[in-house]
Amino acid sequence: MKDQCGLLDLTEDDVLEAMRSMQGYVDITPGTFREIYALAYEMALTRVRSMGQARDIMSSPVHSLQLGMSALEAAHILARHGISGAPVVTAQSKICGVVSEKDFLRHMGLAGTASFMAVIAASLDTQGCISTDLRTLLIDDIMTAPPVTALPETTLADISAIFTERVINRLPICDADGYLLGIVTRTDLVASLCWR
Amino acid sequence: MEYFRKMRGTTQSPPRVRSSEMLWSWIGAFLGMSLMGLVQSIWLDSQGQTLLIASFGATSVLVYGAVRSPLAQPRNVFGGHVLSALVGVAAWNILGAWPWLAAAVAVATAIVLMHLTKTLHPPGGATALNAVIGGEAVHTLGFWYVLTPVAFGVVLLLCVAVLVNNIPHNRRYPEFWF
Repeated sequence: MKDQCGLLDLTEDDVLEAMRSMQGYVDITPGTFREIYALAYEMALTRVRSMGQARDIMSSPVHSLQLGMSALEAAHILARHGISGAPVVTAQSKICGVVSEKDFLRHMGLAGTASFMAVIAASLDTQGCISTDLRTLLIDDIMTAPPVTALPETTLADISAIFTERVINRLPICDADGYLLGIVTRTDLVASLCWR
Repeated sequence: MEYFRKMRGTTQSPPRVRSSEMLWSWIGAFLGMSLMGLVQSIWLDSQGQTLLIASFGATSVLVYGAVRSPLAQPRNVFGGHVLSALVGVAAWNILGAWPWLAAAVAVATAIVLMHLTKTLHPPGGATALNAVIGGEAVHTLGFWYVLTPVAFGVVLLLCVAVLVNNIPHNRRYPEFWF
């Protein structure tokens, strides 16, 4: 995948037109200019990204779930806040897992990537209720643990890599002792690229 | 295959410059070469010295015709010519017995030295070559060749370039001095 965020793809004609509008003989070919432009843009992007840290863009405080909570209660909380997942913390506010739609779907016998339509199809196909099991489960049973987390100092470039490599959508930010400080979602990351 | 594909080229020639650019290039080159010619005929001829060497024609292309070019900036013009002249004279002194070798070593070494010192200036290659193939007149100068015609001539060309290239409002020179 090639990063093209904000990169205006210059055509050779654009460059020629610009050179024409400049005074004097510019001893560079349009091709070389485009090469320099693309490389310089990449450098600038890397520089900008390495400046931003998790603490700059994380949402805080976080809607978190308590360990020991029933899966049903967790579902209600997530639904109320309109979020698709949340970190799970112990009574001491230390992070111990993450619960998301994917975890619920897996316990309903569906793939973690199943869509809402897949849920409807599975419900209609099944005699009875596909989520019966969930009524008796605690979030301790369904959460993903140990969670993938990052420090407040983690750079946005590293966060971007974590999202892609671990195929996750939210990253809890904790201090070195594991106390939950905030959360960075894919939406936060996208917004941070162009809007500060 | 890639080797042959690269020979096809990838891009196109930069656009033609405006007429005013051509006019000022002509004026600059005319004044620069005139000054050198006059200095030579009024002053240096009587002393049996020469100021006009072919590589100054090439320098004029850059300092009057491509004034923005990094290759045309004072650092490059002065450094490139002086270093290349030194290399050329040295090559002739050491390898004069084999003129073909002296010429090749002079030009090749001049290029590397100019790169090394960030003073790349194409006419420098001609200055180095001229030290070898310039005949008896140049050979008898020895290292004085570096001073006159080379350094002296370069200073004259640069003076004219700074004075003339800044007259039109949309032209400027130099981009940097050193």
